[in-house]
Amino acid sequence: MIKDLIRGLWRENPIFVQVLGMCPTLAVTTKALFGFSMGIATLFVVVSSSVVISIIRKLVPEQVRIPMFTVIIATFVTAADYFLKANFFSISKALGPYVPLIVVNCIILGRAEAFASKNSVGRSFLDALGMGLGFTCALIVLGSIRELFGFGTIFGFQILGDGFEKWIIMILPAGAFITLGILVGVFNIIDKKMRARERVQG
Amino acid sequence: MKMLTINVAPHVFTPVDTRYMVRGVIKALIPATCASLYFFRWQAFLVIIASIAGCVLTEYAIQKFRKKQITLGDSSAVLTGLLLALVLPPVLPLWMAFLGGVFAIAFGKEIFGGIGCNIFNPALLARAFLMATFPVALTTWSQPITLDAVTTATPLGLIKFGGAATPYMSLFLGNVGGCIGETSAIALLLGMGYLLYTKIIDYRVPLAYIATVAVFAFITHAINPKLFPGTPLFHILAGGLLIGAIFMATDPVTSPVTAKGRWIFGIGCGLITMIIRIWGGLPEGVMYSILCMNALAPLINRVTKPKRYGETREK
Amino acid sequence: MKNKLTDIFANSVVRMIVALAIVGTVSGAALVLVYNYSMPKIKVNMKADTERAIKDIFPQTDKIQNTKEEGVFKAVDSSGKLLGYAFLAEGNGYQGTIKMIAGVDGSITTMNGMEVLESQETPGLGAEIADDKFRKQFNGLSLSHEIEYVKNEKPQQPYEIEAITGATISSRSVVHILNKRIGEIRKALKG
Repeated sequence: MIKDLIRGLWRENPIFVQVLGMCPTLAVTTKALFGFSMGIATLFVVVSSSVVISIIRKLVPEQVRIPMFTVIIATFVTAADYFLKANFFSISKALGPYVPLIVVNCIILGRAEAFASKNSVGRSFLDALGMGLGFTCALIVLGSIRELFGFGTIFGFQILGDGFEKWIIMILPAGAFITLGILVGVFNIIDKKMRARERVQG
Repeated sequence: MKMLTINVAPHVFTPVDTRYMVRGVIKALIPATCASLYFFRWQAFLVIIASIAGCVLTEYAIQKFRKKQITLGDSSAVLTGLLLALVLPPVLPLWMAFLGGVFAIAFGKEIFGGIGCNIFNPALLARAFLMATFPVALTTWSQPITLDAVTTATPLGLIKFGGAATPYMSLFLGNVGGCIGETSAIALLLGMGYLLYTKIIDYRVPLAYIATVAVFAFITHAINPKLFPGTPLFHILAGGLLIGAIFMATDPVTSPVTAKGRWIFGIGCGLITMIIRIWGGLPEGVMYSILCMNALAPLINRVTKPKRYGETREK
Repeated sequence: MKNKLTDIFANSVVRMIVALAIVGTVSGAALVLVYNYSMPKIKVNMKADTERAIKDIFPQTDKIQNTKEEGVFKAVDSSGKLLGYAFLAEGNGYQGTIKMIAGVDGSITTMNGMEVLESQETPGLGAEIADDKFRKQFNGLSLSHEIEYVKNEKPQQPYEIEAITGATISSRSVVHILNKRIGEIRKALKG
């Protein structure tokens, strides 16, 4: 059971390993807070849609499963979008069209198709939670690095002094690609070392 | 690193190796470097030192870290640093020049597997990075000799935004605002002569590049001299065209290897340069034109690959 | 393994339609609930956003009234005196749309200020149109002439502003959008 949760956080991390959901990953991580909000919104959608799909998985006709999953996902996304607009207006404005675009985030349909439609509700919940958390963590790391170099702050707190010259590229799309590339590389180095150690111990 | 070989047959052994070519290009850059030291004095000197230091230290650190053979002996890191410095403005803060050097080697070269494996010209890639990162610092210039800081005072900027022309003689000698090593046409042409004489570069790319720019400028200027004030000679001498055409576009790693491919490469660079210069938001387009064509170089190689004897079309 | 009868049932068109219809209906119903809960709040948020901007431009504002012109508001102080008109203006910037709210006095001869609501300009360059240094130039700007911009020098005329260094296109866009909109408003309010 615990394996279902851990998988999304590390070994099958949606961003660093599966490289899914790149559109929000690259677009909204100009600041750590935006990455965090996007991550939480996605977490909510992936968990609730996975649970619902897992509940009804035996009733879904094979041929129309994708449209059905999509309708369910779209419902939760719209709900998340309205919720953000109603309660966190400034964040919603900053995220712009990327909240509605969670609908097309491959992570969500991917989990629905690959896991929730085949497994029990409990396991689907844990799996989706792990994936959502893994996604959120990755976005926070990405957002923090870009915010640090692009604005000199992390979550709005001043880290680098006044003499700091802003690295504008970090807030531009190019900076997102460069940072993501470096992070994936670092992730692979750590993962390789961990696997080598496991092999020695095992 | 034997996996990525984009050269086509025949592979003939010659005594011309990387080291020889790199040294030759550095020698060819001596006139331009001297001119830059004359026009921009200690400012140019410090930027050149900072940029080279960034390149050399990064190359050493990465090769050490990855436990690879240290290849500083071929001087290619020095060349990248020098080329980068020559396309930077003289008043650039030194740490930015250093950072540019680090980026050129780390992300322009070593990340692809070291010398010979990169897609883009490392010096230009680093300049593009600096341009996107510190746009204000990268467009702040100083007057030659007096070293007064001014903005948009390059000849291309003046003609694009102010409609003012610069005398050809100043452009030819290099007594104008601009990047450290791009201003003096005569010094760059001397370098070209040396490179062509020693056969380190092929004449096709620079010729196609410069000719395309000239023809483009001639046509637009003939159609409407008011709207397109740049004459062919102006467009050749101003900005980074010569340094780009002679030293950047001819980089053997990132440009096509076939004769036909080189013509295409040069013409493409010329077209993109002129489109950016005339209709783009920036006054200069040499850097982006070469980077764009770098990306196309492997494709051009593939398309223009000569047929092997007896080869038939693949089914 | 399923038997033949359930196989036919599983593949039947009726079953697909029913399943989709149920999912669609339930989703729709759920969204109605969400909509009813959040829409009033969203409206309040959007109004607050505009009001905050108007109050920034006209600090003495007590009441904001709609005019017959869409997107143009009257700012009125506590004694009922007209402070000026605030209006929404939007148009193309360097990247995407720039949406602003700006204020002019009652006779449309001077500007009282400008605030950027939304823009996708380059961070650190074009995005400076939303910074005080650029924005404050519009406070008290004369409208006796179309607004114009100058580069790398101090404005000479009362209707000139200085463009942001390195972001001429964004600065120019702001000026164009405002000129166009002020022209429209002048026509609409006079007519």
